[in-house]
Amino acid sequence: MVVHILGKPIRGKYRINYGLAHTFFGLGLKQATKVCSKLGFYPEMRMHQLTEQQNMAITKELSEMTIGAKLLQQIRGNIQLKKKTGSYAGLRHAMGLPVRGQNTRNNASTARKLNRLDRKGSV
Amino acid sequence: MRAALIQLARSSWKGPHVVPLPIAQAKKAGTPIRTNARSCTILPQFVGLKFQIHNGKDYVQVEITEDMVGSKLGEFAHTRKRFSYTQTKNK
Repeated sequence: MVVHILGKPIRGKYRINYGLAHTFFGLGLKQATKVCSKLGFYPEMRMHQLTEQQNMAITKELSEMTIGAKLLQQIRGNIQLKKKTGSYAGLRHAMGLPVRGQNTRNNASTARKLNRLDRKGSV
Repeated sequence: MRAALIQLARSSWKGPHVVPLPIAQAKKAGTPIRTNARSCTILPQFVGLKFQIHNGKDYVQVEITEDMVGSKLGEFAHTRKRFSYTQTKNK
């Protein structure tokens, strides 16, 4: 049983807050739980128990937040702006190295993985 | 993350860190301002002016745009050069 929210498939056996946090980039467990309690779902409620109306309510709530592709676009825009102004932070992003003065002799693997102009995200 | 950023920010009663610079003169004459104060915050009044910012060796010319407001002058004068190999002629 699969439930679709904002065009994304979520497995029916998941709890609602967990399913939302698992699926959307930029939405963690805390914010997802907040959305659930705002809409009045009890904590143990599962995805497949959602009615059509409740599904619509979640969709409406999520479309107002900056998550997913919208958030990623914002992040990329900020990095591009730094690069465009010729700032040191933009240069470090372009080089794929730490931005805030961390050491690069060893490690720095998170920065090597993530820091780039066209930053990736699990959207 | 946001809460930490606010906590770590500079106290508001201090105001931005600014160094006295000859801004009025530069606006009139249109000459670049030569400075060593890399830690000076860029204010909205600086937009459109030219700065020559010290990078430890020489002065880098930077024109201030609107997007730079709020960051420091030193962010736009890089202090490190990328390594490039040059062949030595005399062995």
